[in-house]
Amino acid sequence: MCETCGCTVTPGIDHQHGNEKVLVEVVQDLLAANNETAAHNREHFDQHGVLAINLMSSPGAGKTALLEATILALRDRYRIAVIEGDLETDNDAVRIRAHGVPAVQITTGTACHLDAHLIHRALHDLPLAGLDLLFIENVGNLVCPASFDLGQHRNVTLLSATEGDDKPAKYPVIFRASDLVVITKTDLLEVLDDFDPLRAAAAVRALGRDTPMIRTAARRTPDIGSWLNWLEGQLGAWRRIARRSRSMMAALVGA
Amino acid sequence: MHELSVCQALLRQVAQLVQSRGASVVESITVEVGPLCGIEPMLLANAFWIMRAGSCAAQAALFIEETSVTVGCVSCGAQSQTAPNRLTCAACGGFRTRIVAGDELRLRRVELRAPEPVTV
Repeated sequence: MCETCGCTVTPGIDHQHGNEKVLVEVVQDLLAANNETAAHNREHFDQHGVLAINLMSSPGAGKTALLEATILALRDRYRIAVIEGDLETDNDAVRIRAHGVPAVQITTGTACHLDAHLIHRALHDLPLAGLDLLFIENVGNLVCPASFDLGQHRNVTLLSATEGDDKPAKYPVIFRASDLVVITKTDLLEVLDDFDPLRAAAAVRALGRDTPMIRTAARRTPDIGSWLNWLEGQLGAWRRIARRSRSMMAALVGA
Repeated sequence: MHELSVCQALLRQVAQLVQSRGASVVESITVEVGPLCGIEPMLLANAFWIMRAGSCAAQAALFIEETSVTVGCVSCGAQSQTAPNRLTCAACGGFRTRIVAGDELRLRRVELRAPEPVTV
């Protein structure tokens, strides 16, 4: 009861009479719903021991070409699947399936990015059991994908030699969020006089993280060794951590 | 471009507040947007004008508080204000920093009006 006038204070509404204004202070992440689903997706991946990698870049930087070369190099040793994000076509998924790897296509229509809900829906069509690696090929775009956690374990951003080496300075959010930056199409560097990988590296370092950078060429004469090394390193490190946390959980449950 | 989906999430959160507080009218909504959250304040405002129609916030004003970027240096511990694409430490030049402020994308406050009291 209100001491001054004896009215009943409705739960949830601050003391007021008539239809006064109430100012409600909140601190709530606007992407909370997306982040919750992303955490849920990550749990799925963890339960199945699948390392999920979110590949981002501008359109045409060579995400699908890198994936194709990766599948050819690793498909005998690891079980791989791909979730493809595209505005309109399923061309990329068709390219991936041609290599004998399951690929689920998400057609986003006019939406410029994948979000955690779209990934969650795609997981219904993609059995995770037995998989080692799941690549999520995001929509080609250096702006929007950076804001949406999908539940991935690692973010990888591609920067092709045919783009400007100042892209990291122009799109700091996505490059800052990256665990690895891959300079692609490096076989073209000899004929391109305006892309300096060292300038690109300086632009990435200016973002305040010592993000590793590697160089690949995925077509003609593929040169993706450093990428494969990074991938296998990440898979190994991630599995060691997963094993440790599982045994810690077991110890806690047993205690 | 993804400002529309963010605006949709914003209106959903406001609708939940309106329901839980038993309010009828949303007078204003204040959000906090940092330069590193990947959202353009002006585009968010435009999206809001389109999407508020027919929602619980159809009459509401949107206030956007823009924050600036502050990084904390992992090496020397100093905090400095920086440009969004120059996130190194201004004090020692160190290139390993963490974001202290500037990546916010948050609902901060909502001004609600309770329903008209029913006169019997």
